Amino acid sequence: MHTLSASQQVLIFAWWFALGVSVLIYIALDGADLGAGIFSLFVRDHDERGAIMAAMAGTWDANETWLIVAGGILFGTFPYVYGSAFNYLMVPLAFVLWGIMARAVALEFRHLASPFWQRFSDGVFGVASLTVTFFGGMSVGAVLHGYPMTEEAGRVPTYVGGAFAFITPFSIWVGIASTIAMTLAGLLFVRARFEKDEPIRQDAAKWTATIFYLAIAAVAVTTAWSALIFPWAANRWFGPGIWIWGILFIVSLFAIIQMRRATHQDRDLAAVLWFNGAAVIMGLGMLATMFPYLIPGTWTIWDAASPEVSITTFTLTMGGFIPVMIMYNAYQIWVFRARVTKLAAHAH
Amino acid sequence: MNAADLSTLISRIDFAWITTFHIIYPPLTIGLAMLLFFAEWRWVRSKDEGWYRLCRFFERLFIVNFGAGVATGVTMEMAFGILYGPFSQAAGPFFGQVLGYETITAFMYEAGFIGLMIFGWGRISQRMHLFATANVAISSTLSAMWILCANSWMQSPTGVELRDGVFHVVDWGEAILNPHFLTAFPHMLIAAVELSICFVAAVSAWFLLKRRHVALFQRALKYSILSLIFVAAVQVWVGDELGQTVAETQPAALAAMEGHYETHNPDGSVNSSWNVIGWPNADNDGMGWSIAIPHVLSLLETHSWDGAVQGLNEFDQQDRPPIAATFYSFRVMVAIGGVLLLLALWGAWLAARGRLSVERVTENTWFLKAVVVAGVLPYLAIWTGWWTREIARQPWVVYGLMRTEDGVSHMSPELAIFWFVGFAIFEIGVTLGTIHFLAKICRHGPDVNSPVAFDPHDNDGMAPAGQADHTAAQTA
Ligand code: HDD
Ligand code: HEM
Ligand code: HEM
Repeated sequence: MHTLSASQQVLIFAWWFALGVSVLIYIALDGADLGAGIFSLFVRDHDERGAIMAAMAGTWDANETWLIVAGGILFGTFPYVYGSAFNYLMVPLAFVLWGIMARAVALEFRHLASPFWQRFSDGVFGVASLTVTFFGGMSVGAVLHGYPMTEEAGRVPTYVGGAFAFITPFSIWVGIASTIAMTLAGLLFVRARFEKDEPIRQDAAKWTATIFYLAIAAVAVTTAWSALIFPWAANRWFGPGIWIWGILFIVSLFAIIQMRRATHQDRDLAAVLWFNGAAVIMGLGMLATMFPYLIPGTWTIWDAASPEVSITTFTLTMGGFIPVMIMYNAYQIWVFRARVTKLAAHAH
Repeated sequence: MNAADLSTLISRIDFAWITTFHIIYPPLTIGLAMLLFFAEWRWVRSKDEGWYRLCRFFERLFIVNFGAGVATGVTMEMAFGILYGPFSQAAGPFFGQVLGYETITAFMYEAGFIGLMIFGWGRISQRMHLFATANVAISSTLSAMWILCANSWMQSPTGVELRDGVFHVVDWGEAILNPHFLTAFPHMLIAAVELSICFVAAVSAWFLLKRRHVALFQRALKYSILSLIFVAAVQVWVGDELGQTVAETQPAALAAMEGHYETHNPDGSVNSSWNVIGWPNADNDGMGWSIAIPHVLSLLETHSWDGAVQGLNEFDQQDRPPIAATFYSFRVMVAIGGVLLLLALWGAWLAARGRLSVERVTENTWFLKAVVVAGVLPYLAIWTGWWTREIARQPWVVYGLMRTEDGVSHMSPELAIFWFVGFAIFEIGVTLGTIHFLAKICRHGPDVNSPVAFDPHDNDGMAPAGQADHTAAQTA
């Protein structure tokens, strides 16, 4: 569409990377909150459910903000994707948004409500977490398919494929797979955030075993399925660079096994970190597989980028704000690191 | 009306709905954060426990409001791409960039400190906490700044060039500092402060009417009413400035706001009369009926006795915004601006006569009742102000350059309705929940008994974590 200078290409590449990193941080941080929410659907004890919510009270907003940041980068740097992909994903995103809204309200209002409404808000919290996870995953699956665009001279191509094109067997599967993965993240979170002798930690431990194997299966199925239906994935994975992908595969397998060992040994923080490590490797692997496409077959990052990317704004945000942001995010997580007990349900 | 027009109309209503429900919350977040900072600072300075209690009490209201703001705000961020895909693509290089800055420099910044502010009592030092509160106020102001920059650019799109269906930025400085931004942002910021002052005053007046915690809320009431005198006056002045900006940049919008059709009278003289109220006729080429005062329009818009103001009949029918909605929304906002100023003056008069003192404040039943009622007025002014602004921009989404119908996503009427119904249910739910819990916190009243959150560093920095948690749990 437009020709890019070399420095613009570097910037666009860097923004693309920043976008990927924000999404991955979001998945790592809020994924645990979402998974804990899904797990809470199966927790019988009223106070334990409250304590799960209290355990994320100080941080969930900051975690969720990484999604907003990803949205902001997408809109700011890749507006052509923002305007068309969101149109394509209108229906699943509506569910994601309703879920986010309901979760936020349940989290903020629970401690003020009467016991009846607390039970109601627990239900809302669990179902909303599930909705966000499932439809969020489904959106990712749908994006991997690409989507049709208009071709009008003198105008930016926009989406035309209808509201339900996002529903495919594969996208449904990705929704299920991400539910499994996030549940695992949530279990690890519960184990890391509760006092060692709390019963809920034991329940979470029982679940972890099953979900762990389910998650491995989910990853395997998703990878195989992608290789089968997406030529761009198969070509890259089984092309000349096969050994790189092989190494990535082995490294993520190693991280997963380490995570399993850490849970067995009650090293909760290590388990969380290994899990996130595996997720980040796989996420980066997926981004690299799609490169240079942002939306496979539809938008490359070069076509999708705003023609006005500038070195000044990039330096300001990436050199200034993002690092600072990461620092105080970390500080905040540090302040709220203490393990909680069931009594936390009444703490505020 | 064909299906495309119908979906365009519903998309517009969809968007109007979600913004209308989002804008309920951020102004209180912005303004109350500043007031909380003030109270906390007074406390840290004077060690007067009253400020601490007020701060903790209003902070609980703040949290509820904040949660609702986030819940409805995340929708906004995504809604441009969903409902206005083609607009987002075309305007992306500027508009998207600006929203991108907002998320990074404002939301992320705010999210980092809000957790510390709410849950940090007793865990971080007093100074760190005060610092967190200050940063919440600054970051939410930054957020308003960026979003107003983006919106103002839609009103007066300078610094860009439309090529191949995309707005290319030719001058960042001009695009960011566009004419509307320079007046609309101050107006919005003051609106946020004014709303928060009225909110604090209304809650305080309610307690005073009930004669609960009189000493505490007398202080809150007195400070807020006295600051309102200044703020309300400045708001009227800045609003007038904004009116001038609209007159210069969007003559059709201004004419619609004033129901002004003819630039000149039939005899050739300038039509300077200002319609107090009225209704447009069926052909939309004049007012069907109206009560008008000569010269006032020229005075208001040109600050001269006989300055000419362009009338609607100089614009094609298809380039005119809806008249009645703009005309009345505008009048409601302006009337509220005036009423709030009068209310503040009433309070000043009472204060001057010593009737707002702790001993006597509860005697002023009428005044207190008026203050309680006035709590809703700024909300209404903000709604009607935005309706004026957004509806008067029609039929353009980017004024003079891109029409709304070219900006909306391709979707069927059914889908647009599906969206609307979903968000209507959720957002009404959020609003009712918010009101319910705000009321509940008020009924419950401030907590004046728990020990003041202690500073972990006062204890040689050695406070055992468990104990700090415990204190936080009690006072939170
Ligand atoms: C507490 C709230 C409040 C109060 C008391 C007022 N306003 Fe206002 N007004 C707003 C809150 C607001 C707002 C909601 O914040 C708007 C919408 C967009 C904006 O930037 O500010 C606005 C917009 C707005 C506009 C722009 C409309 C457009 O762009 O099409 C004008 C001309 C005025 N106002 C004028 C006034 C005048 C003359 C007032 C007093 C006499 C006044 N406002 C009081
Ligand atoms: C400050 C950021 C805002 C931005 C960037 C913004 C942007 C938009 C956009 C893109 C549309 C749809 C296109 C159109 O119909 O022209 C719109 C319409 C609308 N917005 Fe806003 N908006 C903002 C704030 C608000 C607020 C706070 C309110 C209400 C309280 C509001 C009320 C409306 C209404 C009533 C419409 C529908 C107008 C019509 O179609 O007749 N807006 N706005
Ligand atoms: C129509 C355009 C708007 C969009 C796209 C938008 C977007 C958002 C988003 C995504 C959030 C949640 C942030 C979080 O997770 O912390 C939010 C909250 C917020 N918005 Fe908006 N907003 C709009 C209008 C406005 C306006 C007109 C203002 C102020 C003048 C404003 C000020 C704020 C503030 C201060 C917050 C954070 C505090 C709170 O949630 O109460 N926004 N907005």
